[in-house]
Amino acid sequence: MADYVSNPDESKEYLPRYKLFYILLAATFSIFFMRLWYLQIIEGEELRTFSEKNRVKQNKILAPRGLMVDRDGKTLVENHPGFEAILSPQYITNLDGVAQAIGPILGQEPEKIVQRVQRSRRQNGPFAQVRIKDNLIKDEVFRLKRIRLDYPGLEIKETVVRHFPMGYNGAQILGYVSEISKRQIPIYNEKYKGDLTFDQGDIIGKTGLEEVLEKHIRGKDGVQLIQVDAFGRETQSNTKNIYGEELSDREPTPGYNVVLTLDKDVQEAAWNSFESHKRIGALVAMKPNGEILAWVSAPSFDPNQFSQGPSQTYWNQLINDPFKPLRNKVIQDHYSPGSTFKAFIALASLQEKEINPTTIINCPGAFAFGRRLYHDHLKGGHGNITVYEALERSSNVFFYKMGIALGIDRMFNYVSTFGIGTRSGIELPREAPGLMPSAQWKKQAIGEEWQAGENLSVAIGQGFVTATPMQMAVAYSAIANKGKVYRPFIVKKIIDHDGKVVKENQELLLRDLTQKQASGISISPETFDVVREGLRRVVQGERGTAKRVQIPGVEIAGKTGTSQVMGFSADQIYAKCDSRPVHQRHHGWFIGWAPADKPEIVVAALGEHSCSGSGGAGPLVHDTMLAYFQKYRPDLIEAGKKSGKKTAAPTAQPQQEVPEGE
Amino acid sequence: MDLSLQVHERTLFRRIDWNLVLVMLALQVVGLINLYSATHGPHSEGVEQLFLNQIIWLATGWTIFMVATFVEYTILTKLAYIFYFINLGAILWVTLFGDVALGAQRWIDFGFFKYQPSETMKMCLIMILAKTLSQFNSSGRGMGFKELFWPVVILLIPFGLVVEQPDLGTAMMLVSIGGSMILFCKVRKSILISAILAIAVAIPLAWSYGLRDYQKNRVINFIDPMNDPQGTGYNSIQSRIAVGSGQLVGKGFRKGTQSQLEFLPERHTDFIYSVLSEEHGFIGSLTTIGLFGVFFLIGVRVASTARDKFGALLVVGVLCYVFWHMFVNIGMVIGLLPIVGVPLPLLSYGGSGMITTMTGLGIVSSVAYRRYIF
Repeated sequence: MADYVSNPDESKEYLPRYKLFYILLAATFSIFFMRLWYLQIIEGEELRTFSEKNRVKQNKILAPRGLMVDRDGKTLVENHPGFEAILSPQYITNLDGVAQAIGPILGQEPEKIVQRVQRSRRQNGPFAQVRIKDNLIKDEVFRLKRIRLDYPGLEIKETVVRHFPMGYNGAQILGYVSEISKRQIPIYNEKYKGDLTFDQGDIIGKTGLEEVLEKHIRGKDGVQLIQVDAFGRETQSNTKNIYGEELSDREPTPGYNVVLTLDKDVQEAAWNSFESHKRIGALVAMKPNGEILAWVSAPSFDPNQFSQGPSQTYWNQLINDPFKPLRNKVIQDHYSPGSTFKAFIALASLQEKEINPTTIINCPGAFAFGRRLYHDHLKGGHGNITVYEALERSSNVFFYKMGIALGIDRMFNYVSTFGIGTRSGIELPREAPGLMPSAQWKKQAIGEEWQAGENLSVAIGQGFVTATPMQMAVAYSAIANKGKVYRPFIVKKIIDHDGKVVKENQELLLRDLTQKQASGISISPETFDVVREGLRRVVQGERGTAKRVQIPGVEIAGKTGTSQVMGFSADQIYAKCDSRPVHQRHHGWFIGWAPADKPEIVVAALGEHSCSGSGGAGPLVHDTMLAYFQKYRPDLIEAGKKSGKKTAAPTAQPQQEVPEGE
Repeated sequence: MDLSLQVHERTLFRRIDWNLVLVMLALQVVGLINLYSATHGPHSEGVEQLFLNQIIWLATGWTIFMVATFVEYTILTKLAYIFYFINLGAILWVTLFGDVALGAQRWIDFGFFKYQPSETMKMCLIMILAKTLSQFNSSGRGMGFKELFWPVVILLIPFGLVVEQPDLGTAMMLVSIGGSMILFCKVRKSILISAILAIAVAIPLAWSYGLRDYQKNRVINFIDPMNDPQGTGYNSIQSRIAVGSGQLVGKGFRKGTQSQLEFLPERHTDFIYSVLSEEHGFIGSLTTIGLFGVFFLIGVRVASTARDKFGALLVVGVLCYVFWHMFVNIGMVIGLLPIVGVPLPLLSYGGSGMITTMTGLGIVSSVAYRRYIF
């Protein structure tokens, strides 16, 4: 004990040194205080959301897109159940391991999977899921399910796969769906502000009706909220005491179903006709009031492959195809209408009293105007003919003379009222306007005066004139209707999931040409009758250019035409079309309606590089109309068969192949 | 006779610094509450046992504490050397043979208990430095080169060995504790300034030549956790989320999603303070820091009333031990410091830490017990 008291004040020596300790403590606690204040009070709200994002996994429940059916209720677009493999980066503990495990199962390179996940994590953060593969086959699902528990972050999700039962047929009009691209997300969110929201990984309609009807057929996705732990394992959130508020799901709302004006039977007949005749090009069939019955653009593509995420090779194949399978040629491409244009010139000439139905015009094989010689397709010419024969035989010289007589501005006034040069107004996007030139237009667009010689070209549908198959169909319906121009439409009804009609489209009369138009013209019913008779003779007449389109029992009216791909020198004009390389061959047109006196269906067909109107496009129209009348007017077809047996078939003799147009 | 014994017993009882005991108990209760929460999540099958283990460690710790309280601490002036050299031998053994025999571990495995010599070295260092430093007079200009020689050598030998292991975290902890004690005893200003300058020069050199790549990475990841969000950065990010999401009052006992759902790593040991901050918020976090504050104030009072300089330095050493552990642990949990495996004294789960801490505090208690002089 003696030691204790020896130097009682010894430790007093250190007293001044404790202030160092106090300074250190004060500094430390102030720093901790400020840091905690910053994290918990200032950033607390944000970090709370982070922790919520950690624990609550939002499983999007995709709303099934609405179905599309034809006018009879037959399915055109439907949904199939499917499975997809998903990786959630936030739960992955061993990315390389997962990639090595699932790569061989899914037939993907593990390095690629690692790269995709890393890129997504960089760009979208750890909470965004990465879709590794969709449309898993049964075997893949089975094998993934077996290893799922060993690899946190790996999931197999049920999905809905868009299915197009008709496949290639109608792919451009129905469109296709696929994942929204990063670039599109803000654009779509802006476009559908207030109605729809788009996120990464969403499936959207990319073209055709799938794109146009997005707002109606998309539906609203539901959300399933799941509490998960750090390894992505689902954790019971109803365990009381541990977790706060209950998590509640939101059910998805399915998209609206759409009834189209299309007729699947007619559509299939039209498509099969393209297939069997190995044609490329476009066809549109409609009722005279504008309801679209069939719509073909060939070659086509398989939209089902897009639903499954198309392979790069398939995509490259489509992009590099010179005949452009992705284009909707019915409205997106315009062509010279060729001789099909003569019907409008005939109407204008008659209405403007340049001729009357009995006026006889001399039509030799060539016609000199200015310093040029303008040829007819028939070397010897047609002799003295009226407007009926001029249409029936498609005389060029007759219409050269009409073109000179009318002049460009009168031709423009008449033709443009039929809708040539303006978009038809169909619901589909990216429609080409086509062109009906005028003197004023040429001056503005090209800066040159109109040349009189160009009247000749325009009169036979060449030169600057271009039109889409859709425009030609609408214009010919107007002739068939004796002047009624309707807006074409393809969406008949939109029906919500309770069966209530949300929207119903009716025929829309744009113009009645028998009434006075803005340009001051009107066309009398009598004038229409003359041209309608001329067009009837094109198919039904003794020397008609489209006799092979005939359907026994049904009278058809229409007009052939040839759209020049390139100009040829005089000696080449009469050269055989088949002998040229495919891409140099002319496009063939046929536009017609039936029955000739009481039109029920109008069909416009363009056979690209098919050489002639009657041979190239005619069979397409014939097959389409035949399917229509077999379905809706079997009586006429039956009657035709009976009478056909009595007389020799008119198409038995081989027909002379005549190049048309200039 | 009867009476005198009674008086003796009462004074014995009264001499214990009950404030110290109470604040220690308070911190341990906070630790137990959070340990219970951290070990009773929905997927904690197998870790519930840890809570009971900790209670056993606590009991052991308090036994050591009480024994140490009644042991005359001056015997440590002699034992310090023996402890130091034995411990040094153990570290040397682990450093030399650890890699071969025990893989990359720094432990000696006794089966029921894994002994980490570098951990007990902290306490041995405190004792031997207290002994050495108490010989110098701190009221003058401070220690010069001659006086500093042995304390620095004593400090650098274990430091060098632990760096070699390599266990940078523990090595830094040894330097912090030993360095604090040396600075406490006053170092000449000129030497202090040259030392600071020397360190300033040494850091870039160490960076270029001394540090291994993984050590550099750890520093880089601290500065930019997103550099490796799934590795060391992940722990830092998740801990910050846990602390911040507690907001003012916390999510409630056993309702912390970050800890219950295992987003927090090492939640029962190094990250126990995150669990606390998440479930009890700003208020709980501050209260706990406040308890540490009270603890240090009591500690300083014990040191300043110590009977001799050796006793005072022992207390200062133990306070430095607790302080630097707390500083590094909380600093890393709230994202101010890089992630190093340092437990929070009195709160974290772990036998090694608990025994070492309770031994140290037992020594503090022993010094406090003997401050009264009759």
